[in-house]
Amino acid sequence: MTRRLRMIVLALGGAGLAALFVAACFGMPGFGGDRHPYGDRAVHASLARRTANTISSVNFDQRAFDTLGEMSILFTSVLGTVVLLRQTRDEKRGRPQPQEVALPVRRYALVVLPVALVSGLYVIAHGQLSPGGGFQGGVVAATALHLLYLGADYRALERIRPIGVFEVGDALSASAYLVTGLAGVLAGTAFLANTLLPYGTFNTLSSGGTVPLLNAAIGMEVACAIVILLARFLDQAVEIEEDNGKR
Amino acid sequence: MNHLLPLLVAAPLLGAGLLIACGRRLPRVAAESFGCAVSAGTAALAIWLCLNSSPPLTEWVGAWTPRNGTSVGIVLVGDGPGLGMSALASLLTLASLAYSWHYFDEPPRRHAGSYPALMLLFQGGMCGFAITGDLFNAFVFFELMSAAAYALTGYRVEEAKAVQGALAFGVINSLGAYAMLMGIALLYARTGELALTHIGRGLDTHGGPDALTLAAFVLVLTGLLVKAAAVPFHFWLPDAHAVAPTPVCMLLSGVMVEFGVYGVWRVYGTVFSGPGGIPAADLERALTVLGILTGAVGALMCWYQRHVKRLLACSTIAHVGLFLVGVGSLLPEADDGVALYLLGHAGVKAALFACTGLLLDRFGSVDEHALHGRGRPLRGVAVMFVLGGLALAGMPPFGISLGKAVTEEALGGPLTVVYVLVSAVTGGAVLRVAARVFYGLGPQPRVGSACETTGAGEEPETRHRLSRIPDTMRAVPALLLAGSLAVGVVPGFARIVARSVNEAGSGGALTSAHWTAAGVLLGLVSTALALALAALAVTRPELLGARPWTLPLRRLQSGHIGDYVAWVLLGTTLLGALALPGILTG
Repeated sequence: MTRRLRMIVLALGGAGLAALFVAACFGMPGFGGDRHPYGDRAVHASLARRTANTISSVNFDQRAFDTLGEMSILFTSVLGTVVLLRQTRDEKRGRPQPQEVALPVRRYALVVLPVALVSGLYVIAHGQLSPGGGFQGGVVAATALHLLYLGADYRALERIRPIGVFEVGDALSASAYLVTGLAGVLAGTAFLANTLLPYGTFNTLSSGGTVPLLNAAIGMEVACAIVILLARFLDQAVEIEEDNGKR
Repeated sequence: MNHLLPLLVAAPLLGAGLLIACGRRLPRVAAESFGCAVSAGTAALAIWLCLNSSPPLTEWVGAWTPRNGTSVGIVLVGDGPGLGMSALASLLTLASLAYSWHYFDEPPRRHAGSYPALMLLFQGGMCGFAITGDLFNAFVFFELMSAAAYALTGYRVEEAKAVQGALAFGVINSLGAYAMLMGIALLYARTGELALTHIGRGLDTHGGPDALTLAAFVLVLTGLLVKAAAVPFHFWLPDAHAVAPTPVCMLLSGVMVEFGVYGVWRVYGTVFSGPGGIPAADLERALTVLGILTGAVGALMCWYQRHVKRLLACSTIAHVGLFLVGVGSLLPEADDGVALYLLGHAGVKAALFACTGLLLDRFGSVDEHALHGRGRPLRGVAVMFVLGGLALAGMPPFGISLGKAVTEEALGGPLTVVYVLVSAVTGGAVLRVAARVFYGLGPQPRVGSACETTGAGEEPETRHRLSRIPDTMRAVPALLLAGSLAVGVVPGFARIVARSVNEAGSGGALTSAHWTAAGVLLGLVSTALALALAALAVTRPELLGARPWTLPLRRLQSGHIGDYVAWVLLGTTLLGALALPGILTG
């Protein structure tokens, strides 16, 4: 297809789609209205189970099955990355050379690393209480480790990041989510039913029944997954070379 | 029994998790056996639930059973079609895992479990999509099966074309998924619901359809039709199928693409079929036009391929067109026919891919011209390939033929001609390949034009070129063909399928799906046509060879992802235009 023809097709399709969107926008409910059928029900259900953070109640209780799917998508993507970015026959692994890091950067990274790591873990642990949760906290915790790459060098990062352990952690936490769900089936209620544990006291760490458990599983899964993802991409960029020495 | 529905998703996902957790220590045999065992167990569960699915099972995950008619949870619907699709997906996953037993050249170092784990995740995604009764949940599982499929397609990452094919597949399908997500958002804005039946009810209480309903319909259907590879959303499919490892092709062509058609059927029936949805005439117009277009383009592209995997991929596009025409008619009998057709097609198409994989691993080529006469020693494979071609053309008593006959009877008139022609051309193309490759008939074809994709110079997927074909690789296509035959000949099977499809779709309309004299005759006509086409192509190659007017059509398959994106946008607009008249007048 010539560039001209491609642009014509694109313009026609884009114009049609834009017209459709504009027309649809006039049918949308007005901004700032007070009718939120699902929101009202979700808040009600969340308070009934003493989960202070309604978003977590939606994620890990009311629609925990969606979260199972989303977690599996992340798990699949990580697995796919591991498979696709493997060291192929025509590639070899080189040792990355240490690089000089500016002193302020090094100091900053080393000071912030523990703070960022603890913040990530805090966000995971308080998922049922305050905004955040396993997905967000997991990303913060995982990226915190990579401050070491900025502050020191790749070999230092590799030392605190044994990929094998993280891969097993990724798979085990995904399995833990499923096993928690299956416990509901074994108990005779339903898959992922939040009826096994007491709901606890509202707005305390041990409230919400199985919400903190599923939240923790997701936190661990996401943290491990991000570490592996970044490791695979960094390996390609830093370590793996084509056989003729090109990166 | 309801509580067991989520296990169809949970079992394969847990299997994949365990495979990865222990995969670093497991030897390859153990990992592959475990994968087979898990997918077989899930298949058994799906079949057992399917046999007990009347009346349909429903399960609210997390025990969020509705109070006063509303719920915040997710509902799973275990009716005949949903569980039947899960069973089909599980059985095909098992078949391709068995076929790929010890198959790949090089599992990633210390990751022997990753290939079977990806297959299990793929299976879990398909099962979830099949049984969910919640639109957002359907989107999540749609994405899960896509993510697994992208990774599996690009598995042989050493080759540049594998990366290109998987990238085109990933970009176009993700684009479709975003369209679907926007459609879901529009429906949610209107109704505040996510369960399919509740959205439908919400639309109906709001009043007649308007621009928002149309936009939601078009966007959701775009996502599903991209997956179904309907023209002009189809460009990713030949590129992806040509490069994906053969066992993955069996799954992609056999069942994943068909999930798009299933989704269209499910979503229209539950969400848009009420007075507040899209009028029936509009859906009929949209799906019939797109279906005929898909059938015609698929059949033409199929006939002019010499890369055997691409040829089979294009024939899948052609048959999807026929499925869409059947589903678009909204007749209960046509639904029954399409269901049978889909079951029969899955077995035959997977078997044909399996046979092509044998050629690839034995000769390092899937080029029809280069392989001329070289397949002579593979007598068993030749018989299977010919049977597959005949079944694809609609020869009784295969399941495809029964399904086609039932649908043709329901549709009647000119659409029957489309059915007969498309199946004759696709079947004829497969028979032509069989005649040349396995029997060396006709003159050795000359080298084709430069813009053709030849299938020569492909790397075998096994460790070495096979000198002897392993029994598993021979047994799997044979069993798949036998399964497809069983769909047509097992007494009472068609009746059960028809009953469960109608129970779920058309409110329990009483129909009968069985062989009729007219159906058998039409099947024989299309088979005879296919044989004639194949014979003519082999004996007089120049008569049915490439024509200049087909060149622009074939050039559209450019491999340029930008082109494919432009076509997706144009397709969305086309879909909107086709469904517009009823909204304007209604």
